[in-house]
Amino acid sequence: MTSSKSSNDPDALIAADRIVQATFARLHARAWGIAFALLGGFGILAATWVLVLRGGPVVGPHLALLSNFLPGYSVTFVGGLIGFVYGFVIGYALGRLIGSAYNRMLPAPRV
Amino acid sequence: MPTGHEPSIGTPPRPAERRISGPELEHAVERALVLAFAPLHKRVFGTAIGIAAAVVIAVATFIAVLRYPTDTGLWTLSAYFRGYRISWTGILIGAAWAGAVGFIGGWFLAFVRNFALATWLLFIRVRANLSQTRDFLDHI
Repeated sequence: MTSSKSSNDPDALIAADRIVQATFARLHARAWGIAFALLGGFGILAATWVLVLRGGPVVGPHLALLSNFLPGYSVTFVGGLIGFVYGFVIGYALGRLIGSAYNRMLPAPRV
Repeated sequence: MPTGHEPSIGTPPRPAERRISGPELEHAVERALVLAFAPLHKRVFGTAIGIAAAVVIAVATFIAVLRYPTDTGLWTLSAYFRGYRISWTGILIGAAWAGAVGFIGGWFLAFVRNFALATWLLFIRVRANLSQTRDFLDHI
């Protein structure tokens, strides 16, 4: 609708309406990336710090397996911060991938 | 002499703004609202989640195969993913399983989201209709 003529044309309006009705939502890839990044980052941070605060003879033996994939990570306070960075970066990549893949595969509206 | 208010070179000119009102404005608002509440495409969303899940499992298995074939704990996924193991073929099997599970999860997530949105819209519509007829008896 760039000109007043086309925006006032009833046929054009009806056609535009049909397109709007048949349109699916698009995802904001960057927003999805940030959302997943925060989830991933704070998820690892919270999981790590809860175990550290809880303490015990062996702290988080299962969560410590993450260090196989995330070099430098450990179930400690500092390790939680390192895990936050990893979770943030990996989460951002995943969220961005989901948003971009969805938008790319979204079919054009059928009128 | 420059005043500091000149448009910078390379800045595209702003398109002329046109004021709309009346039925045209209502129409524009209605269309904007329809777009704002547009549903997610379930199959496409499921596929996108499936791709992401497959990539995660494939990369994790790849790292495990290269560096830690025995002690990552990733092999426990075989309890859920039949045929999965830490090996080169396991990368493909794990990716296929994760893709399938991700697709189902994503499809269901989109379904629930669309359903919740539609229910909410119905609720808003009913409430608006009721508020319009609330003073019905006052006119008798």
